[in-house]
Amino acid sequence: MTSTLVVARKELLDLRRSRLLIVLLGFLAVAATVSVLVQAAQLRVSIDQYHQYVAALRASGSTLTAAPPPLFPLQLLRGSVEYIEVIGALFAIVAGYGVVAKEKQRATIELLFTRPVGRHAVAGGKILALATAWLVAVGGIMVAVTVALVLVGNAPLQPVDLARLALTGAAAWLYLVLWSCAAMGMASMARRPTTGLIIVLVLWLVVVLVVPQIGDTMDPDNQVPGGLFKSLQITTADEHTVMAHVAAYDAVRNGLELSSVTKHVERLTFALLGIKDMFNQLPVAQVLTKTLANSLSLLAGSALATGFAVLSTTRRTLLRRQS
Amino acid sequence: MTDAAIHTQGLSKSYGDKPALHGLDLTVASGEIFGLLGHNGAGKTTTVNLLTTLLEPSSGHLHVAGLDGARDPNGVRRLIGYLPENVQFYDNLTTVENLRYFARLSGLRRPDGRIREVLEYLDFTGHDHERVGTFSKGMRQRVGIAQAIVHSPQILFLDEPTSGLDPQGVRNLREIIVGLNRDLGMTIFMNTHLLAEVTRTCTSIGILSAGRLAYHASMEATTRAFPGEESLEDIYLQIESQRAA
Repeated sequence: MTSTLVVARKELLDLRRSRLLIVLLGFLAVAATVSVLVQAAQLRVSIDQYHQYVAALRASGSTLTAAPPPLFPLQLLRGSVEYIEVIGALFAIVAGYGVVAKEKQRATIELLFTRPVGRHAVAGGKILALATAWLVAVGGIMVAVTVALVLVGNAPLQPVDLARLALTGAAAWLYLVLWSCAAMGMASMARRPTTGLIIVLVLWLVVVLVVPQIGDTMDPDNQVPGGLFKSLQITTADEHTVMAHVAAYDAVRNGLELSSVTKHVERLTFALLGIKDMFNQLPVAQVLTKTLANSLSLLAGSALATGFAVLSTTRRTLLRRQS
Repeated sequence: MTDAAIHTQGLSKSYGDKPALHGLDLTVASGEIFGLLGHNGAGKTTTVNLLTTLLEPSSGHLHVAGLDGARDPNGVRRLIGYLPENVQFYDNLTTVENLRYFARLSGLRRPDGRIREVLEYLDFTGHDHERVGTFSKGMRQRVGIAQAIVHSPQILFLDEPTSGLDPQGVRNLREIIVGLNRDLGMTIFMNTHLLAEVTRTCTSIGILSAGRLAYHASMEATTRAFPGEESLEDIYLQIESQRAA
């Protein structure tokens, strides 16, 4: 077994026994599942109302037919995705910080570095452990929300829906690994791990909350609940014509949003789950083609964060004195 | 030099512009129990950190177990064991899990048999599956020794090993150190500022003063060279006062 795998195995055991992490992951899973349950219950109500309406129509002897409401059960995952984007990222930071801070603060790193470990074995092992932990956590959450969708929402899921869920899970996993690696790298690089934690928390605030919020606020369509253009009954073609008049403004707004990896994840997952109406009738391949830039940005962000964690988690940074 | 377990030549270390160790020339023969004495801040821990490859020297050369510390640090790490002052472990892991981790990092593929052997040697059975976080200082020190010797190193480095132990713990540890040297032929390099510990345990001593090696001789030669003195404390103070003068 290479030293990277030895470190990874030990980190996984340590993470599994960390009460804090178990509580945080449990909270995330419960929040994501409850969000689906609430939305699924609302969906059931609207389906029941539709059936009652159709029955009443038939009872009255009417020959009119009522079109069923558009049903895209995966849309019910909107809240869950948002929880992972915001709270999940925060928990990923805590996990990434923890794997370095504990070693630095307790000086176990000295015992580790008097062993013949490879140059990047410590960083590699810790990243591998975090990635595995998030794979298990995201997998668990996706299974929980899928079960909730089927049992409570009565959602008739097709194999293609499962593929969409799997792709959403993969995006969420990459995103959480990104934040864990960023936190791990900063905790290693900073003389005091807590300084690194503060820097990553500020980054989280800007990337996850501030920038997307500014982008949303600047979006003309968001000025009215349900969408400005929809409420004014403006067609998509006309909407494009209107927006062409404020192209520069929209480019700035869009550029701002694109600077946030969270927004890329949101655009990708919302497209996959059909939360954005323009995507919910498209086959998966087409959705992936249309959101290729978002997928590539997420992949690049994760690769960068992983590289940063590997390069900054070294003997020199970990053994550096804290005072 | 080939017989020497440890050999340094002009070994120096500075932290920024603050020198901690000046041109240390030291040879410790295989099979010795060497005690490095000195005041707090004399450079003892820096010396151990350099010899265990935790630090890189600012200048000079060091050979440990016949290997060049600069050229083959991983080779050196395979042949040494290290017990830092106030040793800490992964509190969520049990004794065996901690030891298994360090043994595997040292290259042992199936370490469980060896771990059992070491725990029996240290008379520390019965706590195998208890989490280390619940242990007292003395118990941690035993696990610390176990992790330092689990891979059968040639040289064992101990940094202030009796620090924080009660008198019984000090005595037990002293017996372990002497036993490791006697039974397993392990060379032991020990940092301490407790003179009584050195008198009872070591076969040779060195005294570091302000980052320089002020004295180095066997215990036998030391007691011969200072016949009128009653204790090592007097010798130590005499050397210190000579250096100051």
